[in-house]
Amino acid sequence: MTAVRVKGRDGTEQTVDATDGMALMESLRDAGLGVEGTCGGAMSCGTCHVYVAAAWADRLPARSQDEADMIEALADFVELRPTSRLSCQIPVDAGVEGLSVEIAPQV
Amino acid sequence: MGDQINLKVLLESQTLERCPFPIPTGWYFVDYADTLKAGEMRNVTLFGQEWVLFRTESGKPGMSDPYCPHLGAHMGHGGKVCGEHIRCPFHHWEYDTAGWCKNIPYAKVTPPIVKKQAILRTLPMVEKYGMMWAWYHPLCEAPSFELPYIPEIEDATGYTGSRRGSWTADTCIQEIAENGVDVAHLKFLHGAPGIPPVSASYDGPVMKLDIGQGYIVGTAYGPGLNVMRFNQHGITATMISYTQPISAEQSRMNMSFRHVDYAEGTPELHASKKVIDHMIGAAEGEESAGFESVDFIVWNNKKYRPNPLLCDGDGPVLQFRKWFKQFYPAADAATLAKI
Repeated sequence: MTAVRVKGRDGTEQTVDATDGMALMESLRDAGLGVEGTCGGAMSCGTCHVYVAAAWADRLPARSQDEADMIEALADFVELRPTSRLSCQIPVDAGVEGLSVEIAPQV
Repeated sequence: MGDQINLKVLLESQTLERCPFPIPTGWYFVDYADTLKAGEMRNVTLFGQEWVLFRTESGKPGMSDPYCPHLGAHMGHGGKVCGEHIRCPFHHWEYDTAGWCKNIPYAKVTPPIVKKQAILRTLPMVEKYGMMWAWYHPLCEAPSFELPYIPEIEDATGYTGSRRGSWTADTCIQEIAENGVDVAHLKFLHGAPGIPPVSASYDGPVMKLDIGQGYIVGTAYGPGLNVMRFNQHGITATMISYTQPISAEQSRMNMSFRHVDYAEGTPELHASKKVIDHMIGAAEGEESAGFESVDFIVWNNKKYRPNPLLCDGDGPVLQFRKWFKQFYPAADAATLAKI
């Protein structure tokens, strides 16, 4: 387990024990924070959108083109930020201990 | 002392297959154009799988894989044509004839891949000769050649003939086509008076055959279309043959017979009809048999020998096979070794 700081849609902050070896999306979804992860990591639904804390943006694996395209497709519905990520594309391991994310609004 | 018996040759038939070939690449007849009205759809089996054949409201034919890319519903069971699209019954996702998803009625955000590429497998189609044709390629590549102009069936005037037929053979399309170059069988299986000379030329997907020094002049355009002109009694009659691979082991042979629109009662008209009767094998007093009565018994029961024992007098079977190999672009080494 790796501790991740999460700011929910209602503004409250909490620590989520994310499961190592899985995508962050799965732990956020299972924590009941409103992340749906409908497409299971195929980057076709955009329901696991998060804003990563600026300090962490460069420490995560870079966005793929497919991820960038899915985030771009959300632009008409929710605010995008330079640190917008799909949490299904953030693998959890000890290297992300202390990662801080904010769950983006629902589409 | 005789030589050792070559057991490999003697026992090889146990390991031979009847149809070791993949479905060959090419243009294939799907059905006659007038059998599918705008807005209609139906399921057809071709190329070893089921497809949904449909015609949009504006009249464009489409042929798609049956299973919706979304959650796998069979669109040919309960789906329908909506305008220019085929609509899945399950969640009403819609696709155009090129396989692009054009509508997901409840998604706020369209998945990016949907805007980037087709997600449903469809086959390129054209309508020509009053027929619907589809291009099959195992790796979904675009057509690499075009269907030819055939005056006998495309000219509005000058030609006639409504005879056509359809026969199902329990073998693959290459085995059927190979008879075209196997001129020796014409004498022995069909009972022709002699073995006619044959010359063949190959140019990309096109093979030209001249059997009997101009008696039969045929051109194959890939595996799915063959135009054969029979020159006899001073006239030319044309057989347009368009065989479909139903599966790797079953083919449906289709033929249309056409001739010049000679006036009623002329000897040319009589000769034209007689030549066509001969092609089908229905002529009275014929000394040789048409394909219908004799070829099937061989096709339906034979095995394919990749290393046949050929002799002096056989036709250019091996050259034909080499030419035909181009239509198996996805065949792996194990398959190529068997064909």
